[in-house]
Amino acid sequence: MPENLTHVPYYPGCSLKTKALGYERSAMDCAKTLGFEMHEIATWNCCGASYPLTKDNLMGLAAPTNILVEAEQHCNERQIDAQLITLCSFCYNALKRTDFAFKEDSAKLETLNAFLERKYQGSVKVLHYLEYLRDVIGFDNLAKLVKRDMSNIRVAPYYGCLLLKPKKEIGLDDPEEPVILHDFLEAIGCQVIDFPGQVDCCGSYLIMRNPEKVLELSHNILQEANDYGAQALVTACPLCQSNLDQSEGERHGSDHFLGVQGMPIFYFTQLLAVALGLDTEQHQFEKHCIDPKSVLSACLDDDVGESQ
Amino acid sequence: MLNENKPVNHVAMVGDRTIPPKDARFIEIYIMGQRYKVPETLTILKAMEYAGYQFKRSCGCRGGICGACGTFYRILGDHSIYTGLACQTVVEPGMILAQTPFFPPNRADHIGILDDKMPPDEHIATLYPEIFRCVGCGTCTRTCPMGIDVMNYVALFKRGDVLEGAKVSFDCIMCGLCVVRCPANITQMEVGLAGRRMAATQLIPRSEVTRKRAEQVRAGRYEAMLAELGQMDREKLKERYTSREREPNLSEPGEWMPKDQSHL
Amino acid sequence: MSDGYTPEMLDLIKRVEASRPQRLAQARAGNDFPAMSMEQRKEVLNQFHPDYTTEGRRALGIGPNKDEVLPEELVDLLESRSIIEAVNPDLSEPDMETDVLVIGGGGAGTAAALTAMQEGCKVILATKLRQGDSNTVMAEGGIQAADQEPDSPYYHYLDVIGGGHFTNTHELVAAMANDAPMIIEWLESLGVMFDKHPDGRMKVRHGGGTCRKRMHSAGDMTGAEFMRVLRDETRNHNEQIKLLAFAPAIELLLDDEGKCAGAILNNMETRTYLIVKAKTTIIATGGTGRLHYRGFACTNHYGATGDGIVMAYRAGAKLCFMDSVQYHPTGTAYPEQNVGLLVTEKVRGLGAQLLNIDGEQFVFPLEPRDVESSAIIRECLSLDKGLITPTGRPGVWLDSPMIDLLHGSGTVKRELPAKYIQFQRFGIKIAELPMLVYPTLHYQNGGIWIDEHSRTEIPNLYAAGETSGGVHGRNRLMGNSLLDILVFGRRAGKAAADAVKAGIEPGTLSLAHVSRYGKTLSDTGLDRGVKSPMILPNYAIDEVKKRRWDVKSPVI
Repeated sequence: MPENLTHVPYYPGCSLKTKALGYERSAMDCAKTLGFEMHEIATWNCCGASYPLTKDNLMGLAAPTNILVEAEQHCNERQIDAQLITLCSFCYNALKRTDFAFKEDSAKLETLNAFLERKYQGSVKVLHYLEYLRDVIGFDNLAKLVKRDMSNIRVAPYYGCLLLKPKKEIGLDDPEEPVILHDFLEAIGCQVIDFPGQVDCCGSYLIMRNPEKVLELSHNILQEANDYGAQALVTACPLCQSNLDQSEGERHGSDHFLGVQGMPIFYFTQLLAVALGLDTEQHQFEKHCIDPKSVLSACLDDDVGESQ
Repeated sequence: MLNENKPVNHVAMVGDRTIPPKDARFIEIYIMGQRYKVPETLTILKAMEYAGYQFKRSCGCRGGICGACGTFYRILGDHSIYTGLACQTVVEPGMILAQTPFFPPNRADHIGILDDKMPPDEHIATLYPEIFRCVGCGTCTRTCPMGIDVMNYVALFKRGDVLEGAKVSFDCIMCGLCVVRCPANITQMEVGLAGRRMAATQLIPRSEVTRKRAEQVRAGRYEAMLAELGQMDREKLKERYTSREREPNLSEPGEWMPKDQSHL
Repeated sequence: MSDGYTPEMLDLIKRVEASRPQRLAQARAGNDFPAMSMEQRKEVLNQFHPDYTTEGRRALGIGPNKDEVLPEELVDLLESRSIIEAVNPDLSEPDMETDVLVIGGGGAGTAAALTAMQEGCKVILATKLRQGDSNTVMAEGGIQAADQEPDSPYYHYLDVIGGGHFTNTHELVAAMANDAPMIIEWLESLGVMFDKHPDGRMKVRHGGGTCRKRMHSAGDMTGAEFMRVLRDETRNHNEQIKLLAFAPAIELLLDDEGKCAGAILNNMETRTYLIVKAKTTIIATGGTGRLHYRGFACTNHYGATGDGIVMAYRAGAKLCFMDSVQYHPTGTAYPEQNVGLLVTEKVRGLGAQLLNIDGEQFVFPLEPRDVESSAIIRECLSLDKGLITPTGRPGVWLDSPMIDLLHGSGTVKRELPAKYIQFQRFGIKIAELPMLVYPTLHYQNGGIWIDEHSRTEIPNLYAAGETSGGVHGRNRLMGNSLLDILVFGRRAGKAAADAVKAGIEPGTLSLAHVSRYGKTLSDTGLDRGVKSPMILPNYAIDEVKKRRWDVKSPVI
């Protein structure tokens, strides 16, 4: 285990503690191997998930601002650079856009601060875990730490929407032709399946009111990925993971769909943990509708060292 | 000054009437919009009684624990709304006071909260789905006179951590001031109460030792020895009393036992 | 003024800090300031306890306890005419009928109501203020119960009777000590968050006068936590337990055979009376702190005016041990805003010591309360080693900073959160600075006489909680009041329910006992024009009183 792990403040969000617990656990385990430790900030609330649709809806910014204040305090107390790492695309989106709103319009921040009776100074850098891998660890370095041979799996990167859009406010990658997940998959040694549907919407929270639509949209994505030869997908969003995984589960019995073997939908950190040779027992593979083990059997059988 | 004119009888024994210091100034406050002059250093409660109000509502323990006297106020010239307990908050010049003798809370039916048919996190969400309307504005936290981070405990319940939410909400005196101000119309204090009762019965381990002893009591184990004590004369009782062993202050839980175990 | 101690007081605190290292060392070594012998206890009580003087007391001139010498304020109230004489209620048409009428909505009343309901009865719970407004919520430190391995009801009994100077009623003490473990189990099953170790074992500590650690607690708001939970449970049964709030009882109703048959309530908001016919009636109206004997400040809630005592006495119930009042040794003496408020004995249980103006110990911190109070009064008024606050009140130090030093940083804040906030509001951090305390009127040791089933001598009338007497004798130990109310509250509920099930038919409702009482007062010249029950205390200043329409009548 590397000594002196870098302290990185972490905002989980609601899903990471419930439905997407495996995402959090795999991310945290990988972090340690990669030289950093994710520290959940002490007090946090739901980010609200949906960023407000109108500029003047300051109430919608109250929840993310509270989170940023807590993060700023967390970092000030420890005298470290103010940053906050997230895993969930929704949370990332809400926090990043809130941060952007303040940079664009400082009067907005002043109003929020007055209402909340808190003093957010605008210093927190909101990061996605993928961003950290790319910009701080570096994909080259990542590749060097890979222990398992992943070359037998064909994985399609699925980006979804909130990780990338709107471009001006998020700025992580190009929303039409993103590469970050591609590069990630390459770094860990998988065969990368590029396919057009990688930035199509899975249906998102339509699952609440119009599940048929989600089924249709997800089906299209999965079918296309399958047609291009993918054995599995990776994603960075609990809602995408859920929509795709469950849609597939629903349709799996049918002959019109994907043949006999399903395509597991991984959180990218789950696959990272496998690549790094870590013990994946706690990473909740058993909670997936489509069992990942079938695809991973090729690389999980070997006797690679457990996590330290 | 301290210790001048040492009294031999009780000085200053006037029940609950506050003694303003000899050089106390009088200040103006507004009680429900009416202006009164009261000595400074009084609490809102005592200032109102000084002015002639006799409370029926909005007065309970007078000691900061029962939540009866939650008060909203402003100060002349300041747009902010402040909150406090009338029995604990000292009057300031220009205070404009309003109490909340009653405010309708939403209380779900708590009848099933002790059985474990539903896991606590699901149960809270079922009883109080409005917690998911929380916008995270933090008004409740800012309003609470007990310094509780109300938004935080609501957030904890929302994400299913009922035990932690129960702990964070524990000091709640159920004054209802947060309920009055919540823009999402949540009744935080009832959510906290339901959460605490669930946590105590389903998330915190029960005391086995207590259960065992209660069984022994029900089986009548102590009846004879208590009856024996009832037969003793005062001298004999005194003897038993003065000769009883005292458990040491710093004894480890569950480890110390007395030498005489014949009456356990 | 939220700016803490005066410069002079801060200066005196230096003496406390100077003596602290040695006192800590002694405490860690288990060397306590010596406890008093029985003779020493007797001496300090006789000379310095307010109950042991005749000042401010006179003989009661009427009723079952005639000729007993009792506090003046109480005698005034017992020698008074009923408010009900102002109206002439038509008793032939009761407004409500029920199986069990519970008067008082604190711990005892609520426990009684829940138990009677569980036994299948219809209940009306009438409270003067809100349900839960009671002394129960003020009880901070804990509840005693002999559930731990090295303990047993036998030792609990001995502690109670020794603490009560062997004056307690045997049957009541036995009942309370015996039932205690079942009460803890009951509370736990209802969802009370007791202080526990991670494995579920109860955290227990010593209280004044205990030989085993048996004080259970829930933070420093034990009573408030019980009340929150019990009240919530009552609300789950609001069909069977009808709650009437802001409706104090004014008089008991008897029937033509002298059995209790209900009460007349007063709706304080509409100012109308309500006749409630009940097969059984349970009085749980609590204490008398707001009578302010001898001008002492009190720790009691707003409504503690002894209404139940007055009504029961008029109906012919005898009282016991009413001459005995408990002063809590550590009532707040500073700041002025908090004067009289309780500082729980748990503070001393955690290791804080009482110190005089020189920063020296002068008494074992955990003597029974009356002994402890007398020692403090002696230190201030006779030995002249107390402090005087800027408003002239006497006090001694309670060295709370010792707690963190003995048990680790953060203990005070964690174990005494409500207390911490209460002082911090006024600029005093009790984990760093000692508190100033003086005895305050706290508890009515005696009350309406009851047997071990909470029955009074009047058929179909029960009493439970602080309003009843006998179980604590002449001095109550800490942690036994929360126990008393729940044990006897439940017993009252059960006994009332059993009686109802065996068959009760109240006869013709009557207030004849009230007229008789009033007539006796006039005939013997005792009538001073006071009306009772008091209902609520009157804190108006003289200026205001002069201009009121009717000063003598209670506000109803």
